[in-house]
Amino acid sequence: MEPFFLRYRNLLVLLALLLAQIIGLAVQVRRTGDGRSSLDAGDSAGVRLVRLWANALVSPPEKLIHAFGLGAEHLWQNYLDLRDVRSQNQELQKTIDRLRLEQAALLEDAKQGERLQALDSFQEKYIYKTVAAQAIGSSGSEQSHVFYIDKGSADGLDRDMAVITADGIVGKIRDVFPRSAQVLAINDQSSGAGVILETTRIRGILRGNANGQPQIVDILADKRIQKGEVVLTAGGDQIFPRGLPVGVVDRVVTDPERDSFIDVLITPAAHLDRLDEVLVITSTQPRFSPQDQQDMAASEALKGDEAAAIKEQKKASEVMAERLPGLIDPNLPPDQQPLHDSSNPVPVAHPPQALHPDRFTPGNAPDPAAGEVPPAAPDAAQANPSSGSQPGRQEPAAAPGGPHTAPASQPASKPAPPGKPTTAAPRNNQPQKNQPPKNPQGGNN
Amino acid sequence: MPLLAADTRREPQTRRYPMLAYALVPLAALILQAWLPQLTGRYSWFDLPLVVTVYFALDRRSPIQGTFMGAAMGLFEDALSHHAIGVNGVAKTVAGFLAASVGVRVDVENHTIRLALNFLLSLVSSSLVVFVSRFLLGLDYEWSWFTVLFTALGNSLIALVLFPLLDRLAVRD
Repeated sequence: MEPFFLRYRNLLVLLALLLAQIIGLAVQVRRTGDGRSSLDAGDSAGVRLVRLWANALVSPPEKLIHAFGLGAEHLWQNYLDLRDVRSQNQELQKTIDRLRLEQAALLEDAKQGERLQALDSFQEKYIYKTVAAQAIGSSGSEQSHVFYIDKGSADGLDRDMAVITADGIVGKIRDVFPRSAQVLAINDQSSGAGVILETTRIRGILRGNANGQPQIVDILADKRIQKGEVVLTAGGDQIFPRGLPVGVVDRVVTDPERDSFIDVLITPAAHLDRLDEVLVITSTQPRFSPQDQQDMAASEALKGDEAAAIKEQKKASEVMAERLPGLIDPNLPPDQQPLHDSSNPVPVAHPPQALHPDRFTPGNAPDPAAGEVPPAAPDAAQANPSSGSQPGRQEPAAAPGGPHTAPASQPASKPAPPGKPTTAAPRNNQPQKNQPPKNPQGGNN
Repeated sequence: MPLLAADTRREPQTRRYPMLAYALVPLAALILQAWLPQLTGRYSWFDLPLVVTVYFALDRRSPIQGTFMGAAMGLFEDALSHHAIGVNGVAKTVAGFLAASVGVRVDVENHTIRLALNFLLSLVSSSLVVFVSRFLLGLDYEWSWFTVLFTALGNSLIALVLFPLLDRLAVRD
C-alpha cells in the first residue's frame, strides 16, 4: 500500500482537500420550499467564526492603509491647499443660513406628516439617526459585491441596517463584527430592495445582475417606463426608508426567461464603485434628535427675525397708502364707501321699458276680482304706484304667463282683432307717460 | 519542444524563499485584493491571490504545496465575501495543483509561458467557480464571459510585473 500512497500522494491530497471543501459547502447550502438551493441568510457559528478570523486579519491593515490615505489627504487640505478658504467659509455660512430656513420648513412638514400618520395609525419610517463610517475594503471578488466599513457593533451597528450616501442608497449591513461590518451592496445578485418608479409608480424589487449593475426584476412589460425616470425606495422592505433616491432608469430589457416580464436596468445614484464615506441608518424611530431640535430652534430664531422685517415692511406700506389720494369719500358712511361697497357686486339686469304698453304689459294686467277694467282704472293704477312703479319685480312671472292668463282673467272682454289696437291700450298707456323715467338697467336699485 | 519542455540534461531548478516571504506575500496579496477595488472601482479585473498561488506553485514545483496554498488563499477569499466558504477554495485548490504539476514539466523561467499559464489558470479558476456555484450547489449564480476574460487578461498583466519582482526574493540553491 505504501507505494500506492507515495505514488499518488499529490492526487490524494488534492482529492482530500476538495472533498473536505465540498462537504463544507454542502453544509452551508440548504433546499428551499420551491426546490431551489440557497445559502442560509445567517451564517452558522462555524462559518461566522471563519469570517471573523479573516476579517480580523485583513481589517487592521486596511484601516491602516485607509488612515494613511486620509492623513495624507488631510495634510494636503489643511496645510497646503488653504487658498480661498476665507471666501469659501463666508459662502458656506450663507448656505447654512439658507439651509436652516429650508430645514425649518421641512421639519414642519415632517411634524405634520407624523401627526397625520398618527391619525391614520400608520407609522412611516424616517431617518433620525445615522452613523458615519468609512469604507475600508471589499471582498475582492468580482461576483461578491460586499464591502467593509470601519464601524461595528461597538458603534451601535446591527444587521439589516440601511447604508446610504448623500446621493442615494448603497446597501444594507449583512454581518457585524466588533469593530467593522460587512455591507451587501444593492448591485449584488443576492441583494433585494423594494423600489418604486417615481413617475409611473410601478413597484419592483431591486437586485444586481452578473455585471454588477442593479436592475428591477419581475415587473410586467410597460411602455411607459422611459430612460431617465427616477427610482426611489418604496419603503416596504423594512430596511430602507421610503423616498430615498436609488438611481435612474438606464434601459429596459426583456426578461430572458419570461417574455411578458422586463428587467429595468438602473444607473445607481450612489457611486457604488468609489465609496468612501457612508452613513448607516441606526434609528428610524419617529422622533427628533437633539441636534434636530437645536437646528429647529435656530431656524425658528432666524424665521422670527425675518418675520419682524416683513412686519416692518407691511407697516411702512400702510402708512404710505394712507398718505396717497384714494377713492374714500369722507361724506359717506363706511359701509357705503365706493371701495367697500360690496352690497351688489353684480347688478340685476332689467328688461327695457315697453314702448307701447298694453294689457299684456307686466303690471297692467287687470285684477280678476275687479272684473272689467273701468275707464277710470288708469287713475286707480296711477294712484297705486306699486302696480306700475315696480314692473321689474313682476316681469319675470308676468311676462311668460301674461298672454295665457289674460283671456281667462278677462272673460267678458272682447278679444282684439289681430293687427288692430284695442281701445284700452291708449288708456293704459296714458298714466305711464306721467311716471318718472326709469332706469332700464334698474338704476333705482 | 525546447521551449516548453524542461531541460532533461539538468535537474529542474527549485527555488526557495524566506519564510517571511511565504507568510507576507500571500497576506499582502489578500489585503491588496480587498483594498484595491476601493480605488479601481468597476475595473477590478484581477485576482492577486490567484497570481501569487500560481507563482509559488510554478516555482516550488510541489503539487502538494501548491494545492495547500491554493486552498488557503481561496478559503480566505471566500471568508471575506458573502458567498459560501469553499467556492473559491475549490477553484484555487485545483489551480494550485495544476500550476505545480505543469511547473514540473515546463520551463517556468520563460515569461511567455508564465503569462500563458496565468491566463489559462485564471480561466480554469473562474470556470470552476461557476461550475461549483451553479451545478454543484445549484445556486442562482449569473456570470459573464466579459468579466472572466478580462480578469484573466488582468492577471496576466499583473504577473508580467509581479513575477520578476518576486523572483528577487528567491534564495537560489
